[in-house]
Amino acid sequence: MNNVFAVAGIVIKEMYRRKDFYVLLILTVLITGVMGSVTFFNDDKIVRYLKELCLLLIWISSLVIAITTIARQMPSERENRTIFPLLAKPISRGELLIGKFLGCWLACGIALVCFYSFFAAITVSREHHFYFLNYFQAATLHWFMLGILIGMALLGSLVFAAPSSNATICFVVATAILLVGRHLNQVALSMRGGQQAFIYGLYYAIPHLEIFDVRDLIIHNWSIIAWPYYGAAVLYALIYGAFFVAGACLLFRRKALN
Amino acid sequence: MNAVLKIENLRVEYRSKEVGQRTKLAVNGLTLSVSRGEVFGFLGPNGAGKTTTMNVLLGFVNATSGTARIFGVDVRETIARQRLGYLPELTYYYKFLTAEELLRFYAKLFRIPKAEREARIDSVLKLVELEAARKRPIKTYSKGMQQRVGLAQALINNPDLLILDEPTSGLDPIGRMKVREIIQRLKGEGRTVFFSSHELGEVETVCDRVAILHQGELKVEGSVDDLIHQHQCNLEQLFLKVIGYRAV
Amino acid sequence: MRSTKAPLLLLVLLFILCFSLAAWLDPRSLARRQQRSTDVLGVLMGDSRKMFANHFFVKADAYFHSGFYPTIFDNRESFQTPHMAGDAGAMKDENQGEETAFMGKPRDFIERFNRHFIPATHTHLDQGGAEGSKAGADLGESPAGGVREILPWLQLSAELDPNRIETYMVTSYWLRKRMGKVNEAEEFLRAGLRANPGDSALLFELGRLYHENRQNDERARNLWELGAHHLQQGKPPLADSDKFMLSNLSLSLARLEESHGNLAEAINWLEVFKPVSPYPSQVQTQIDDLRDRLGEPAPQAEHEAPAH
Ligand SMILES: Nc1ncnc2c1ncn2[C@@H]1O[C@H](COP(=O)(O)OP(=O)(O)OP(=O)(O)O)[C@@H](O)[C@H]1O
Ligand SMILES: [Mg+2]
Repeated sequence: MNNVFAVAGIVIKEMYRRKDFYVLLILTVLITGVMGSVTFFNDDKIVRYLKELCLLLIWISSLVIAITTIARQMPSERENRTIFPLLAKPISRGELLIGKFLGCWLACGIALVCFYSFFAAITVSREHHFYFLNYFQAATLHWFMLGILIGMALLGSLVFAAPSSNATICFVVATAILLVGRHLNQVALSMRGGQQAFIYGLYYAIPHLEIFDVRDLIIHNWSIIAWPYYGAAVLYALIYGAFFVAGACLLFRRKALN
Repeated sequence: MNAVLKIENLRVEYRSKEVGQRTKLAVNGLTLSVSRGEVFGFLGPNGAGKTTTMNVLLGFVNATSGTARIFGVDVRETIARQRLGYLPELTYYYKFLTAEELLRFYAKLFRIPKAEREARIDSVLKLVELEAARKRPIKTYSKGMQQRVGLAQALINNPDLLILDEPTSGLDPIGRMKVREIIQRLKGEGRTVFFSSHELGEVETVCDRVAILHQGELKVEGSVDDLIHQHQCNLEQLFLKVIGYRAV
Repeated sequence: MRSTKAPLLLLVLLFILCFSLAAWLDPRSLARRQQRSTDVLGVLMGDSRKMFANHFFVKADAYFHSGFYPTIFDNRESFQTPHMAGDAGAMKDENQGEETAFMGKPRDFIERFNRHFIPATHTHLDQGGAEGSKAGADLGESPAGGVREILPWLQLSAELDPNRIETYMVTSYWLRKRMGKVNEAEEFLRAGLRANPGDSALLFELGRLYHENRQNDERARNLWELGAHHLQQGKPPLADSDKFMLSNLSLSLARLEESHGNLAEAINWLEVFKPVSPYPSQVQTQIDDLRDRLGEPAPQAEHEAPAH
């Protein structure tokens, strides 16, 4: 565990020494600020469009941060050959991968805290009410979703040689799941034979990232998600994340490095 | 048993990228043993298989057949690397870290207790003369400075066995001298050093024993003094003879 | 000597080429720029504007339902007409079927689980929206105020497609009816009329604004009559939406005249209303009723007239 945390610390350090996180945060703040300064029909209490916009920016930023951060980890270790002095230390390859995963996940958690704090500040200033539990649920579910994605991208970074192609693939897959994952079963209904079986298989196999997208609930101030279901979703994310990380470890265990 | 490092019948094949050839034989039937307190020079022309052998010793590359042990432990075990320091031949270190942070990170991996950690970092930085630049990101370092960082990280855990792949490449004459001094001092402390080099003069002065590898096969092995006596020539001439060099 | 001169000459030539090219391009790019500044969105999006306008209009309706809204994969029978538009009387309501259950029964365990993470009850913002559905909700203000949240999307939709009449209708209705923003509603409707001169639906809505919110029946009557005349002058086979608007206009005019005691005028407008009304016979009884009050002779003859 000690090794895992040491590696995770390096990943976190790297994230906040690179500029992309700040750029995305500032961009989000700027765009939301500009859009927030527009008044519609002299009504300054309108807030939900702003919530939606802000959350959309947060989601895009978080996907970009998570995928690009994790996707370049292992390829850059190998390209810069930093992996050689690293693995010459008493650290196993599994520990290295888990550390990378954990570091990126925690880094994303830190980023999300910043983003959601801004979101909360914006909404509280307009709505004069702080829906703490709702935002907490949304932010944590978002974070757990990123966990699945990071696991996926980590596995991908060992399979695909180029980090950019891996990042692109992960980005496309994540967007596709978020947009249509929920409806794949209906899509399957309109097909027949092998195609239908394939789509159904996909529907049951893919990690349903869209479950964790509860933006609609907090934009429109719906009541909180029942805690048992929330817990089940968290468990679901942990299982998928662990599955991907385990796959990555297995793949990397005996891989020759050169 | 006094052998710190023991290689038996090592054979390494790379999957070849060239068409028509299935594999590329990099090391063939290498048997070697290095005992405690020795400074061992691992020589050979470019492409002889020195780096490959070291990669096997560190578990980066899997041996096709044969075994390699460090302190009697199979090299594939993580624990084999606890008392080992390694300097790779070509490396860049994490550019966004400072030398100090890099060493702290590696020290954590060796589980060096916190109190001892800072003292170790200070002492190795002093040894490689990077104290002035310790708080600067590594990306601002020159090539030689990076090489010194490499040496520092190899020494951070006070290793009993050092594996150095061309430690003096890229260093200025003073740096080389320094490396030689460090090796000699470690030898004085009873530690074992296994290193590859193309600087035969330097090898002749610091090494107890040498091995010359050519095209993956061990050609000559023995103590430096014996070899010079036996062949009645210096190490450089011996080296050229072994690899079959003819002056034109 | 020659070798140093040649590249120099070439460089001069290149400079001349660059400058002449720039001189030639500059006025053109300036013209383009001026064109663009008048209509940035138009250049950027071209014909897809209408599509986006529709998207945002539907988005406003999704907001009206606090996000409980069918996607293209769901059964949309009961969402054919946006509810916010139906409720506002801006569009003819063609919805049918159960609106609370457009998703149907969950087909598998994943879908059942998924339902807990999306809005899953049918609410309208003007009735308190999602918060109104919470037990013991304390809204702290009039529930209708929540409708304001649909406004940005409607404004955006109108900007993208200024010829989409429903946008103005819906916006104005909610602004003046539920939020007491009569001035804003009028301004928006007038913007709509500038983009669509003489549009009868906009005239109808503006008339309603004067009638209901300003109690200025004189102007309401003028506006409605103008709207009705526009429709009546149109080519005979009226489109469905035109029929709907004519029925709105004529009925409103009839009621207005009735309330002012101009029964004859009221009967005239009801006669206009009758053919476009879904229940002509009921209209006829109303006409008869009014004739009775006017003391006119029995309408029998007129009733039978078409038969002869
Ligand atoms: N990844 C690889 N795939 C295929 N062949 C390889 C690979 N790595 C090394 N080789 C081959 O193995 C042989 C030994 O290479 P190695 O790097 O061990 O040489 P070396 O003795 O360290 O040489 P140098 O003195 O130049 O560092 C060379 O012929 C090289 O081409
Ligand atoms: Mg080498």
